[in-house]
Amino acid sequence: MNPLLMSLLLIVGLGLFGRTMYHKILLLTALEPADRAGHIKERLKNMVILAIGQKRLVGRKKEWASGIMHALIFWGFCILLIRSLNLYGEGFIKGYQLPFFGDDYMLGYLYIALKDIMECIVLLMVIYAIFRRAVLKPERLHNTWEAYFVLAMIGVLMISDLLHDGARYNLIMLHNNPEQLHFFNNPRYGSEFLWTPVSVGAAALISGVSADASGNIMVSMFWLHIMTQLTFLNFLPLGKHFHVITSLPNVFFKNLGYPHEKPRLLDLEDESAWENESLGIKHIHQLNWKQGLDLYTCTECGRCKEVCPAYTTDKPLNLHDFNDKLKFELFDNADNIIKRAKLSATKKENGNTDLTDKIKAEKAELNSKKQLIGDVIAEETLWACTTCRACEEVCPVTIEHVPRIIAMRQGQTTMAEAYPKELNKALKGLERNGNPWGIGYDKRADWADGSGVKIMVDDADVEYLLWVGCAGSFDDRTKKVSTSLVKILQKADISFAILGVEEKCTGDFARRVGNEMLYQMMAKENIEILNNYKVKKIITACPHCFNTLKHEYPQMGGNYKVIHHTELIDQLVKTGKITLNKSLEGSLTYHDPCYLGRYNSVYDQPRSILQSISKDGLKELGRHGRESFCCGAGGGRMWMEETIGKRINLERAEEIVGRKIANVAVGCPFCLTMLEDGMKELNKEEEIKTQDIAELVAKNMA
Amino acid sequence: MKILTTVKKVVDVELNIHLKDGVIVEDGLQYVINAWDESAVEASVRLKENKGAETTLVSIGGGDNSDMIRRCYAMGIEKGIHIDDPALAKADSSIFAKVLQKVYEKGNYDLVITGKQAQDTDSGQTGIILAEYLGLPCVSNVIAIEVMDDKHIKVSRSGDDGTEIVELELPAVITVDVSINEPRLPQMRGIMMAKKKAIDVMDLAALGTSPDDVGCATPKSGIVEFMASKMRKAGKKFEGDAAEITAQVVNLLANEAKVL
Repeated sequence: MNPLLMSLLLIVGLGLFGRTMYHKILLLTALEPADRAGHIKERLKNMVILAIGQKRLVGRKKEWASGIMHALIFWGFCILLIRSLNLYGEGFIKGYQLPFFGDDYMLGYLYIALKDIMECIVLLMVIYAIFRRAVLKPERLHNTWEAYFVLAMIGVLMISDLLHDGARYNLIMLHNNPEQLHFFNNPRYGSEFLWTPVSVGAAALISGVSADASGNIMVSMFWLHIMTQLTFLNFLPLGKHFHVITSLPNVFFKNLGYPHEKPRLLDLEDESAWENESLGIKHIHQLNWKQGLDLYTCTECGRCKEVCPAYTTDKPLNLHDFNDKLKFELFDNADNIIKRAKLSATKKENGNTDLTDKIKAEKAELNSKKQLIGDVIAEETLWACTTCRACEEVCPVTIEHVPRIIAMRQGQTTMAEAYPKELNKALKGLERNGNPWGIGYDKRADWADGSGVKIMVDDADVEYLLWVGCAGSFDDRTKKVSTSLVKILQKADISFAILGVEEKCTGDFARRVGNEMLYQMMAKENIEILNNYKVKKIITACPHCFNTLKHEYPQMGGNYKVIHHTELIDQLVKTGKITLNKSLEGSLTYHDPCYLGRYNSVYDQPRSILQSISKDGLKELGRHGRESFCCGAGGGRMWMEETIGKRINLERAEEIVGRKIANVAVGCPFCLTMLEDGMKELNKEEEIKTQDIAELVAKNMA
Repeated sequence: MKILTTVKKVVDVELNIHLKDGVIVEDGLQYVINAWDESAVEASVRLKENKGAETTLVSIGGGDNSDMIRRCYAMGIEKGIHIDDPALAKADSSIFAKVLQKVYEKGNYDLVITGKQAQDTDSGQTGIILAEYLGLPCVSNVIAIEVMDDKHIKVSRSGDDGTEIVELELPAVITVDVSINEPRLPQMRGIMMAKKKAIDVMDLAALGTSPDDVGCATPKSGIVEFMASKMRKAGKKFEGDAAEITAQVVNLLANEAKVL
């Protein structure tokens, strides 16, 4: 159409975009390393399902309308990419079509038809999106001019292209094609305009104007489209719409094998790590590149906060705000972070392992002037998280919020020694007696007196080790769960033993509050004992122990096949080793523990067991399964007072009461305590019985 | 200001203590810092951090106390002295006080902070006897310390009917209650540094005294035998209205307990 103008626009538009992207990528490469290599097939699969398939947008029943809206806009964009390339070509060569997309091919016709309908759909979706933001105002969204601006640009892109085609149609069909414009007209498939009803409709809207005016509309709409597109491209990296570019790679590089990056095993005796303050995250430059990419990708959609137990009970933790603050701190320090990385690289090139004092001083100068915890993220925000992963499970672009929070807690606890001091009692209990209650370690196996349970030290020739956990050993209520589980195992003739006084806390809660030292102390001692007895298979009724033993002990040389008691009971039922009676009276629901469900995808087994004992079947709570609501005890919160906002366990208890339930089944000692406490507070503990699945099974087996 | 803090290693009272022939069975026991002394350490460290005080701790007897002393180092104590002498095996509070007097006299201290009592013997005397031997003013059961100037401190003492505020001229001895503070939990950096620090271990001769000098031959008190306290039986719960419950209780008192 005008090769000179097109060249100029492309050079400026793509040049500016390239420059921005270069800096954004350079910043990522200056961050800490993260191992996200390999497993290309699995990564592509994730990308196809989650990003291209928009699974978490269209797959959530609660938000199907906005999910489909977004997915249609996204798919529309993918389809219209080809159209854009054709238009750029048109700028240079009249009637340009990409290979195989011309009118010689059926594909060309199918494409123009698809493009035509998608433009209409995208336009309708944009109108719906604006209506939703401006009129429906969903709580999770925060309205910004940026959102409207981007929606408006998308609208302009659709309208300009439709009007361009409409004006072209009018010139060709109404004005006898004075400029000899090219259009699809293969005798086999007919005229282009039989395939593009929406463009023809647009043409009707402007059919009253003269041939000259039509020509002008066509040309101006063409350039408006091109210029809007290039503006749009350059606008994306500046704000939350960067996700248009970064979502696909972010999902591609998502952590595999475990829902998010595992906490790093810190080398606490590494002098240089102490010097660099790099145990955990204490400075913005200590984020790894994937965490940086997560920040680029946050769309501020607010799904995270909507499901967050802390946010929804008025704690000062708003995850999209958290991301935003980190992102701006990252951008504010971008130049210094890049310089710092260059300094570190110089050191490596010289092969000189000792940094000279000069470089050290220079690096210290490059630190952000803001304290990451304190100035950027408030302390109470950092400690409000229960690590329940509800946020990660709903995030459409798979941002990993929790590992970042744990790493920051590591920095606060290990290096700054600035953590909630109310944790000291539980931590000291761990240090002295291997349990957060601080009860004498010698009483750990008292619950098993007279139960006929073997202790490993007497007889280690067993198939399973029953890992009782601190709650199951010391908490009076949870001891009943341990006793019930023992009854089931004995009934099914399972060969098992416990460690007795040799068992210690797995260290889960110490690790979640950033006390890596105590975690490693616990883990090391436990692994030594377990390996000494050559333990292969472990059963546990505590999802926190389960998760730590299964996924975190391998980091320190403890490799076991770990099974949650609900998984084992399900197996026992299915293999006929125990028989369940449908004898439980009253309605029944199940509260999914976070570390069993979201962390380990155990959703079906507990439900299958419960279906087999309940006369009335299983009634799901509003928030269940992947979107279950935390009891409030995870992430070390069990050992902290909850002084801000509404208590999380109360929120959950009220939800249960609202469903008119008689029995609540749980699969975690902390959930048991928290929900029972919630019921007590509501004076419902007699009406609504909260019990572990093991207790329910023990009472309802033949 | 130079502070001397005393610490005692005691058996972890969270554990079940078993006796055999009137002697404690050592197997399975673990030893920890006396909780009141831990508060004394924390109080000293806070005076170091806030007022630039110099902190020294002393422990007596009990064999190898290095784990406990290093834990105190990790909390922030700068110097540790451990007096270990077989002659002290049966020492009582007055002998400990005598040994502490010798330590005090070698060090030119301004303030001695001890725990109010120890979790094992609960006698609560050592600090007070030490003050008597030294002829220094003493306030016990302290729950707050305020430094007024180089020569004066103001302390709050918890009494039965309220809190007494006492001004003291230094040097002085104070014994602190656990409620004075929440002792910090040693963290990695402190623990790593503590590993490298020396502990000044000495016997009585090295301290410049002798068993006779501190009265080892003539302790004023001694342990004759340990006896386990009786476990309380579980209570009985009665249900019903007031009349029914009264009838049940009377019946049991008359026929089971046979006290009516």
